[in-house]
Amino acid sequence: MNYLLTTLTKKQEVDSMIRDTIDKVLVLCFGRASDSIFLQLDEILYKSVREVSKFATVALVDIDSDDVQVYVKYFDITLIPSTVFFFNAHHMKMDCGSADHTKWVGTFLRKQDFLDVVEAIYRGAMKGKLIVTCPLPPDRIPKFQLLYKDV
Amino acid sequence: MPIQNPNPNKKKKKHSNQDDDEDDTVQGKQLTQFEFCKVCRLNHKQGRRHIYFPNHKNALSSFLSRFQSKLKNDVAFYLKKPMPLRPEHAAALNRLWCVFCDFDILESDSSFACGNAIAHLASAEHLKGVKSFLWKYGGGMDRMDSFRISESDFTKWEKKCKLLKSEAAGGGSHGSLIGPLNDIHNESKSEYVNSFDKNKLDCLTSDVKCSNTVVPLQDHTIERSQISHSKICTVGPQMLHAGTGVGLGARTPNGLPGFFGNQHYTHSVPKEGPAYSCPNDGKQVYPYEGIAIGDRHSQGTSSEESRLQSLQNLTQISSSAQENGGGNVHSGAPPPWFSAAEKIQLDNKLNQGLGDLVSSLGEQMKTSKLNPKRVGAAWAERRKIELELEKRGELVRHDFGADWLPNFGRVWQSGSRKDSRKEFLGENKTWRKVDSQIEKPSQLQPYISKRMRTDNTAE
Repeated sequence: MNYLLTTLTKKQEVDSMIRDTIDKVLVLCFGRASDSIFLQLDEILYKSVREVSKFATVALVDIDSDDVQVYVKYFDITLIPSTVFFFNAHHMKMDCGSADHTKWVGTFLRKQDFLDVVEAIYRGAMKGKLIVTCPLPPDRIPKFQLLYKDV
Repeated sequence: MPIQNPNPNKKKKKHSNQDDDEDDTVQGKQLTQFEFCKVCRLNHKQGRRHIYFPNHKNALSSFLSRFQSKLKNDVAFYLKKPMPLRPEHAAALNRLWCVFCDFDILESDSSFACGNAIAHLASAEHLKGVKSFLWKYGGGMDRMDSFRISESDFTKWEKKCKLLKSEAAGGGSHGSLIGPLNDIHNESKSEYVNSFDKNKLDCLTSDVKCSNTVVPLQDHTIERSQISHSKICTVGPQMLHAGTGVGLGARTPNGLPGFFGNQHYTHSVPKEGPAYSCPNDGKQVYPYEGIAIGDRHSQGTSSEESRLQSLQNLTQISSSAQENGGGNVHSGAPPPWFSAAEKIQLDNKLNQGLGDLVSSLGEQMKTSKLNPKRVGAAWAERRKIELELEKRGELVRHDFGADWLPNFGRVWQSGSRKDSRKEFLGENKTWRKVDSQIEKPSQLQPYISKRMRTDNTAE
């Protein structure tokens, strides 16, 4: 799978990734390689990795691996692809107008959107904010229905 | 599955702000677009309201007054007294940026000083430019005339130019003497005044060479005016004639700055008269003016002549010193007590020092830039120290344990993030228990009814 970014399959890898990214935003994307939307997301990420490399690191997590299921449950991942942002091992929330602020669900429509989102997260984190507002207008944000405890 | 909205977005939104970025925000209000105000030098979305804000008004008044002073110093003076433009000055120094038309007026091929500028300021395009500027930035349409040259003035100036040309071409010795004499006197004065414009020293030295009759004085004194007072009479006819004479001459050395401020005003704005002139010292205004310019009734006493001589001596010395061309403070040359060898040493040291400074600054910048209030700062600092220690090999990397979970705020959570972790771990345990319980009865056994079982056990 050399057409994807660094994919993590073990919890320990994810842990070390989270712990070793210091003063940079960590973008963890959970998904399945067979999913077309996830591949599109990966495409955009791959193009932007270098540009944000000074203030962000990007990694993919394969949700089909067993080791990582703890995280899948912990982060409440029900829709894929889902992206979770971390800064200095602290989870960053983003208010995109949807119900779930803890993660970004879906792909980004443009590379610029992704850059905007990561920049917003970085700026908020540097100011000490754990939750930031999404800089994108609502029509650019993928919509989804949040299921509450399998209802 | 997530529902993706197709994006029929027609508007392009750029990530970074650029100068002429249009940001249409339809929020029930007017469509506001970013504009760049040339006067305040900032981008704003205030539309037409911007020109009425006090900040803008202040900026505008200073902006226009600056341009107006340039016009007065330069252009108005030459409008009154056209002078031939020396090519050595024309090259780079004689230019005027017209703020209304946004373009640079170079004096490349005009035969008279500020010729191009005067021509531009009298033109119709400039008038249009002034009008549109004042409308856009709210300067007050009544002030238009102060920023341009009227056609009558322009024709007068042209006539004077023609006269000068004809004089220069076919004039006799007297005429030729008068011409350069006037030029020296006035040009040097104006150059003193407009130091940002011309290279006064070169002009003066060249003038020294070309005419022997008039001594080029760098100080604008009473005596100097008396030398060529007959030639100056055309310049300031409106000036006062009341001269208090010799007594004030003694004050010249001290009072020079004030005096020459007066000179400046009197020459360049003759129309407005003495009332407008020196802001420096009210007392000095009248007497100096009277003596300086139109004073034909001054008495050429012997004391004055001797003073003149001493002044002449002074000026000669200074001009010769400058002719050496050793450089001075203004050209940035090192002081003479600084020997060349020492200078080289110092330069090297400075460069090294600078290099060190820069590198150390760079490191400092990196560390000091990070906001101590940023998210997870404390954790980051601790982690950095840990990593460094691990690198050095002092601290053995200890496993965080398989159960380590990052700080995560859950979706349907109320309470702090630590709670969320505990919650999750608690939930996890129940799940694990559930899992283990499920795992135990892995073998499926057929259902045996109680009756059957009891029958079995009984049996």
